[in-house]
Amino acid sequence: MSRPGALWVILRSQLVAQRNRLFKRNRAGLIAVTLVTLLFGGFAAGGIFSVGATAGHFLTSSVDPLLSATVTALSLLMLLLGFPTVIASLFVGRDLLQLVVAPVRTRDIFFARLLLAMNANLLISAIFAAGVVGVGIGAGAQPVYYPTALLLIAAQVVAVTSLQAILMTVIARWVPARLARDVAAGVAGLTGVGLYLAWNLSLRQTFGRRGRPDVSSLTSFVRPIDWLPTTWPAHALSAVVAGSIGTALFWSLATLAFAAVLLTMAGLLYERTLLSGLGIFGGAAVVWRRRVERPIRPGRARGAGSPALAIARKDWLGFRRDVRRLTRLLPAVLLPLGWVVAFSQQGRILSGFWSSVALVTFLSIFMSSALALPSIPGERRGFQLLRMAPLTMWQVLRAKVLTALPPVLAIILVFSAVVVLTGKDGPGQLLELLILGLWLAVGFVSISVSGGAIDPRFDATDDRRSVGVLGSLVSLAASLAFSVLSIGALALFVFGAQATTGTIDIGPIISTPELGVAMLGGGVMLVAAAGVLVGSALWIANARLRSFEGTIAAT
Amino acid sequence: MTPLDGGVAAVEARQLVKRFGVVTAVDGVSFQAMRGEIFGFLGANGAGKTTTLRMLCGLLRPTSGTALIDGIDIMAAPLAAKARLGYLDEEPFVHPHLTGREFLDFVADLYRMPSGRQREERMARLLNLFDLADKNGELIGGYSHGMRQKIGLASLLIREPSVLLLDEPTNGLDPRSARLVKDLLEELAARGTTVLLSTHILEVAQALCRRVAIIDHGRIVAVGTMDELRILAGSEGANLEDLFLKLTAGPESREMIERLLEGAS
Repeated sequence: MSRPGALWVILRSQLVAQRNRLFKRNRAGLIAVTLVTLLFGGFAAGGIFSVGATAGHFLTSSVDPLLSATVTALSLLMLLLGFPTVIASLFVGRDLLQLVVAPVRTRDIFFARLLLAMNANLLISAIFAAGVVGVGIGAGAQPVYYPTALLLIAAQVVAVTSLQAILMTVIARWVPARLARDVAAGVAGLTGVGLYLAWNLSLRQTFGRRGRPDVSSLTSFVRPIDWLPTTWPAHALSAVVAGSIGTALFWSLATLAFAAVLLTMAGLLYERTLLSGLGIFGGAAVVWRRRVERPIRPGRARGAGSPALAIARKDWLGFRRDVRRLTRLLPAVLLPLGWVVAFSQQGRILSGFWSSVALVTFLSIFMSSALALPSIPGERRGFQLLRMAPLTMWQVLRAKVLTALPPVLAIILVFSAVVVLTGKDGPGQLLELLILGLWLAVGFVSISVSGGAIDPRFDATDDRRSVGVLGSLVSLAASLAFSVLSIGALALFVFGAQATTGTIDIGPIISTPELGVAMLGGGVMLVAAAGVLVGSALWIANARLRSFEGTIAAT
Repeated sequence: MTPLDGGVAAVEARQLVKRFGVVTAVDGVSFQAMRGEIFGFLGANGAGKTTTLRMLCGLLRPTSGTALIDGIDIMAAPLAAKARLGYLDEEPFVHPHLTGREFLDFVADLYRMPSGRQREERMARLLNLFDLADKNGELIGGYSHGMRQKIGLASLLIREPSVLLLDEPTNGLDPRSARLVKDLLEELAARGTTVLLSTHILEVAQALCRRVAIIDHGRIVAVGTMDELRILAGSEGANLEDLFLKLTAGPESREMIERLLEGAS
């Protein structure tokens, strides 16, 4: 009986690992993840399919530039968003060491790991494939269009993943692979921010007075990049739509040949890289080294040390020195800045005080979840140090809230001021917005810290995966409830104050001072309810942390 | 010094049980370690040593039973008990993005040690003792396993706890550092610190510990001095390794090797 080949052995172990990761986890968590994936995936793919079908139907003469732009955008997105996954699969990971020292051909390692590396790119391409299929349906393409589209998109995934591997074999000569992965993750995050802002701007344009669809700009954009290999699958597919079989065959073969060339090059360069020990083994210590430490300056006794300050100082030092965390913070900071820049332009500003309130609320949730949610799980094994110290979990929670609050508060207050100034609101409204920002920051940070403490994953190596589904959902639900209560309270305070002076018209209800007082009373009750909500979240978090032993038993 | 000598128990496990779902990791473990004693806690891999230690230091809540540190129930009065003890895991809990000195400073603050010249001098002495002073500016993330073990030990010693729970403290240390740790533990015990030493390096246990407890499949199978264990096992003149193997009733290693080689040939 012949033994299975090394490639198959590695692939099988990867499949078993993936299966275990999926099915040997909390059943409720698995269902929640599946539902969220289906919901968002379906929403994204459905949306893109509809756009493709509509464009294919109404812009039949522009199918080639449409498809060229789509496949180029897909390739660019895969290049940026999928890069961290490619680095992690092919260049980082201790399990790679086992494969390297085993009597296995590098080619087998490359092909087996390439499948893992393509995960993110396949996910992105699946969403875009919906758009390409939509164009075909809209344009009334022949049945052969669809398998050709899937084949060419698959070839594009292989080509881009191979290109990423090639780039990394070059980068790994100077930069440790782990650092490159962290920087790539940062670039991916920035790309996400850029896309989000672009989407918002396009929405404003679509629904704004000036908005009118115009394909001429798309055609003029595509013309200079027409020669790029990313447009070849588009040429092939548009030729299929036009019924030009010879042209379609030519561009399809060119696409496949290009992918094959890149794949071969990547395989060869990967082999050389592994043999020279770069990527996995090389230069990791450089990441951890810093400049010479300042000499010890003995000072006078300052009394007992403060655990809360010690935790805050430790977190700050860790944050400053952790490239991965810094790269995660960068998009979080740039998003509000980009937003302000984008919307402060003439004709794009969201007018009105309540629009500013909505913006500040959104930003508070966003910043809190980025900075405060992973603050307790981010302790990783160090959490056990805190558990063993003579500290209550209340003290730990308080220290974490106090550590995460200043940066969130600073960004929100600056943002509030900018929004009010660009919106040309008065100083009274600026004060109201600043008070709201302060209240929201304290509330959302407390809720986010609690969410992280309710379902921490101390064994996660990445902050983005350090909070379980339950913690994330609790944090999200509590944040939404808190924002509804807080904005409701603000509305009651603002309108109630106006009602007491009789300066407001609130529809069919007759505005009287008594009604104003009642509204102010209602506002106080909503504030109290919001306070109780935050207190409850912290109380549950404290109870969970005190009894937590999930990963302690395992690590 | 044994419980019968009338010494004061600094660490006491009373019928400790820990279950993870249907698995019983620790099943009714009881023993006492006296003040100023180095007490060995021995067992094979997966026998329940680390789980027991983690219950004693308050990291895991016992399913039933009580863990006492200097007579204080760690679950009933955790802060008072934790202030008295130091625990070193076999993989020390350290923060990779801090330097050695920053980490010691952090731990000293956690335990509310007064800051100032005395603390700085003590940190410098400990870093020198463990040959870490010349790692000026290097982050713990770049330390070797042995260096992490040393900084973990230093973080315990900086605050002079009265009870030390050590899980494989010489793991990964070079011979010189291992010797240093052994000498240090003897010196600390002589000054009244209680050391509960969990290890499967039996030579270390035999050299350092006056009494040992042997745990097997979550249960204590023997507690006592070497002489008491010999009587229990009925093996006069046997060393700790022989006693351990006999008391944990595993198959003879020679027999296993012969079977293995027969299968290979």
